[in-house]
Amino acid sequence: MRNGGENRSRLLLVILIVSALFLITLDLRGVNVIDGLRSGTQTALSPFQRAGNVVLTPVKNFVNDITHLGRTRNQIEDLRRQNQKLREQLISRKNQDGEIEQLKSILDLAGTASFKIVSAKVIAQGSSLAFTRTITIDAGSGNGIKKNMTVISGNGLVGVVKEVFANSSIVMLATDPAFKVGVRIAGSQQIGILAGLGSSSANLQLLDNQTTIKVGDILLARGSVNSQPFVPGVPVGRVTSVSNAAGAVTQGATVRYFANFGSLGVVSVVVKAPKADPRDALAPVKPVPTPIPTVTVFVTPTPSTSASSN
Amino acid sequence: MFLRRFGVTGTIFTFFFVAQEALVSQLTFPAGGFSIFLILTLLWAAISTPEVAAAVGFGAGILLDLSPSTSGPLGHWTLILVLMCYAIAFLSYGDENMRGNPLSLILIVTLAQVIVLVSYLITGFLLGNIATSFAQTLITVIGSGFWTLVVTPLMLPAVIWLHDQAFDSRMRI
Repeated sequence: MRNGGENRSRLLLVILIVSALFLITLDLRGVNVIDGLRSGTQTALSPFQRAGNVVLTPVKNFVNDITHLGRTRNQIEDLRRQNQKLREQLISRKNQDGEIEQLKSILDLAGTASFKIVSAKVIAQGSSLAFTRTITIDAGSGNGIKKNMTVISGNGLVGVVKEVFANSSIVMLATDPAFKVGVRIAGSQQIGILAGLGSSSANLQLLDNQTTIKVGDILLARGSVNSQPFVPGVPVGRVTSVSNAAGAVTQGATVRYFANFGSLGVVSVVVKAPKADPRDALAPVKPVPTPIPTVTVFVTPTPSTSASSN
Repeated sequence: MFLRRFGVTGTIFTFFFVAQEALVSQLTFPAGGFSIFLILTLLWAAISTPEVAAAVGFGAGILLDLSPSTSGPLGHWTLILVLMCYAIAFLSYGDENMRGNPLSLILIVTLAQVIVLVSYLITGFLLGNIATSFAQTLITVIGSGFWTLVVTPLMLPAVIWLHDQAFDSRMRI
């Protein structure tokens, strides 16, 4: 019995060894079924491998973090510093983009009128506790700037240079209550005096009581002798309301400045005016409403049958 | 009876094979690592009769040969595991000092694991598989033996319980 059992086990062993050698021979001879079996096994295993990856990834990350604790901490610190630097660069870039836009619009305006300008950044705003409205720019006498030169932005008049230093200048804004400028209505020779009110609006006093003015009229700087302090043709503002008080000697109006005094980043000082007055060339063009297409229907009456029988 | 044992054993080995491929192979261990499927096979062989051990070695070898991570020809692992499992079972069959002692089972399995790996490398070289450097191979073999020594005591109670369930026996360790 024991010998029978041993013979049986040896027979089984031989059979299994021969089977294994047969499989090796088949594979080495390149039988396609073998490759198909392996790829079928991989196809069957891949969902389990994906699930295993999902389950074990947090564990692997945890172990990795533990074993590389010092390195991970340093990496995190490095990444934080880089992130902070990139954020600062992004903010700076945004500021620069805004300044570039303002500069472009100033250059468009100055180019149309052939002004010679010196551009400068606003580096300080005047104190809100003071009663004057001023800004400080980073250009001064070293850049060719002098007192009583006109300061403009891409939208129009900003103010006039009041004090000049070597590398900076102080500009009185058009919103200052002490600011006054001679203006004329675009498209006509009607003139008046515009005075600041401490806000983005100004008060216009026309010099001629026969002058007709209406809401929406555009005001341009009239210009001064030798273009100081004001060069002619610079857009100033738009009439928002007209006052027709009975018995008033002159006509008045409220004007809203074109320049945005709340966001002055880059301004330009007109260091040399053109020889010829640009007239209304710099006046902003009014938006033209898009015409609504209309359909005209022509109806031709047909003659009635009773009229035709008669 | 035979079909039941075959079915239960096949299910257990398939489960461990999938666990090995899906979970254990995802982890990186220093100096090689271990294979719970190989440990299961060798442990099962150590507590089985020689015929059962040879059959288990054949089936486990087929599964290992079908594994996508195996580079050798089909039948390579089969041949080695048939021989090794039969040898383990033949040497320890009837010797309760070996089978009844957990420490000796652990040492047998660890030694068998190292011999299996070395045999695989040698036969692979004879069959034309390109081997890595000697130093790397040595580190992998020794590392595998170390991890097997660590993991086998953890798997031993579970494998014995599963073997008892499959063969309706009760092994005392």
